[in-house]
Amino acid sequence: MTTKQRPRYVISVLIADRVGILRDITSAVTELGGDIDGISQTVVAGYFTVILTASFKASVSAQTVHTAILQNFGENEASIVVVPYDARRTERPPVLGPRYIVTVTGRRHPRVLKTITAFLADRGINIEDWYVHFGPAGMTQIGEIIIPRVLDVQQLQDEFRQLLQPLGMTGCVQHENIFRATNEVGAIRALIEEQGNVQND
Amino acid sequence: MFRTTEVLTTIRMLQEEHLDVRAVTMGININDCAQRDMAATARAVSSKISLKARNLVRICDDISTKYGIPIVNKRLAVSPASFLLEGRSKEEALRLAQALDQAAREVGVNLIGGFTAIVQKGITPGEQVLIESLPVVLSRTQRVCAAVNVATTKAGINVDAVRLVARTIVQVAAATKKNNGFGCAKLVVFANIPEDNPFMAGAFLGPGEPECVINVGVSGPGVVKRAIERLLAARPDCTLDEIAEEVKHTAFRVTRTGELIGREVAKRLGVAFGVVDLSLAPTPRVGDSVGEIYQAMGVRVLGAPGTTAAVALLNDAVKKGGAFASSSVGGLSGAFIPVTEDHALAKAVAEGTLSLEKLEAMTAVCSVGLDMILLPGNTNAATLAGIIMDEAALGVANNKTTAVRIIPVPGAKPGQRVDFGGLFGSGVVARINCPTGAAEFVNRGGHIPAPLRSLTN
Repeated sequence: MTTKQRPRYVISVLIADRVGILRDITSAVTELGGDIDGISQTVVAGYFTVILTASFKASVSAQTVHTAILQNFGENEASIVVVPYDARRTERPPVLGPRYIVTVTGRRHPRVLKTITAFLADRGINIEDWYVHFGPAGMTQIGEIIIPRVLDVQQLQDEFRQLLQPLGMTGCVQHENIFRATNEVGAIRALIEEQGNVQND
Repeated sequence: MFRTTEVLTTIRMLQEEHLDVRAVTMGININDCAQRDMAATARAVSSKISLKARNLVRICDDISTKYGIPIVNKRLAVSPASFLLEGRSKEEALRLAQALDQAAREVGVNLIGGFTAIVQKGITPGEQVLIESLPVVLSRTQRVCAAVNVATTKAGINVDAVRLVARTIVQVAAATKKNNGFGCAKLVVFANIPEDNPFMAGAFLGPGEPECVINVGVSGPGVVKRAIERLLAARPDCTLDEIAEEVKHTAFRVTRTGELIGREVAKRLGVAFGVVDLSLAPTPRVGDSVGEIYQAMGVRVLGAPGTTAAVALLNDAVKKGGAFASSSVGGLSGAFIPVTEDHALAKAVAEGTLSLEKLEAMTAVCSVGLDMILLPGNTNAATLAGIIMDEAALGVANNKTTAVRIIPVPGAKPGQRVDFGGLFGSGVVARINCPTGAAEFVNRGGHIPAPLRSLTN
């Protein structure tokens, strides 16, 4: 949502990857007096995408931001979207519940992602992140999901395994803390306390 | 956001390398259950165990589901039962053991430890009763496990207690003759017994421990073996210190998994969390063997010169990784070498490359001692006492825990195969190279004084 004093925009850029993309975007935003307060970027199959949020002076419109960023790229080089940030749409997370990690392994299959995401959506499970790893033994899909508290995790795991079996794939759904415990160095006690304190769990 | 390699490493440990939480063990103080008569005491013990542990299995199963990691065994460990046996008879000891057995069954755990006596300096009447009741207790209960601590570095070795326990082992074997002396698999003789060990058969709630506590034992020899194999595949000429480093990193991950499970179980139960004990405890399954780790390091024949050094490397690296992972490390923490429970060790004993004497040398640097070793049925009490004294001497002199869990199989001769089934595994009866000659020394009895802790060359 745009405030009277400082409009805030969500900015997205899609472009074939090269050196200096973030510089070109952030310099345009900064020169307009923008204050970047959120950013996430990734590269998939050679294509770079970034999403960021930034606040500007009252006089700066979405079109102005769009034009400024576009000027830093060649003709037809980048797809840019700038929309007002609507705080009402993001006041509450889509789902309240603990964060789990989904892993699916097996051979590549064209329908697998559609099948899995439909399964999760049908149960009100929100996907926060998803990535795929291709290795010599096949493909591994990894997703970070929020499971509504009302769901029975045991039942979900059983149904998930049954879903994947006909596709020749295996999968599991595990609370994120098992991955944090085995990969981070912070105290486990803090991990447990954090889990008890955060709204999402 | 997790890195792909982080997720895949954890998944691989759980799914391919058999990482599990071997035991979640709830310690319960039963000293306050003493009543005027044993019937009332037994009822009080049952009530207290039920009150404290009735949700243990359910909560462990919930947490196992949540994290996708098996919790193989849920167990109980009570304060030394000998405290409740002062002024009691052997019949009353059996009644107490049966109450423990029944209570364990009712809350759904497979073993309960704490039928224990701490006798390194002397034996009270209650402790004498406990030890003398073991043949009947271990033959007429299913879940009760017993331990006797006969030595400490501060007290030395109580040889009279060793002799009593050795005679008792012979009697336990005879009392469980139908099961190849299996009762002895539920009896451990310790030097420097740890108060917070979650692993059976030696678990008990020792002095200084809370009223009720969760201790966790994690295993994972398969994880360590695969880590070494991956290292060697990437760097075939790597040195032993590089292997130690790899084991240390792996132990770190495994230990933290155990602490996560333990702390969450304790929190859900509303009791204290005690320790996580990373002990590489094998199962008879291929790929879940401590012996295979030594082979992966390059000791192709278990028992060959170098085997003891390999045990020392592994035990030390596991302890270092665990100590960095958690400030709540305790119990035994290291590498076990239980022969029948480890197919590679059992095979080496069967083939004669790994002798009783070599195993004893290995126990000087492993985390426990002579464990799950089958002996000829005609092994006499004096020889058993000598074995226990040798092992206790290693523990006392080196200021470490050592233990003996040996099974003289009634009627069996060296080389004969015995199968206990399940996690207890199978193996062949080991040969004692010098089965006589200890009696005169052992039967002098008395006490071997505590060692000097200076002039340490």
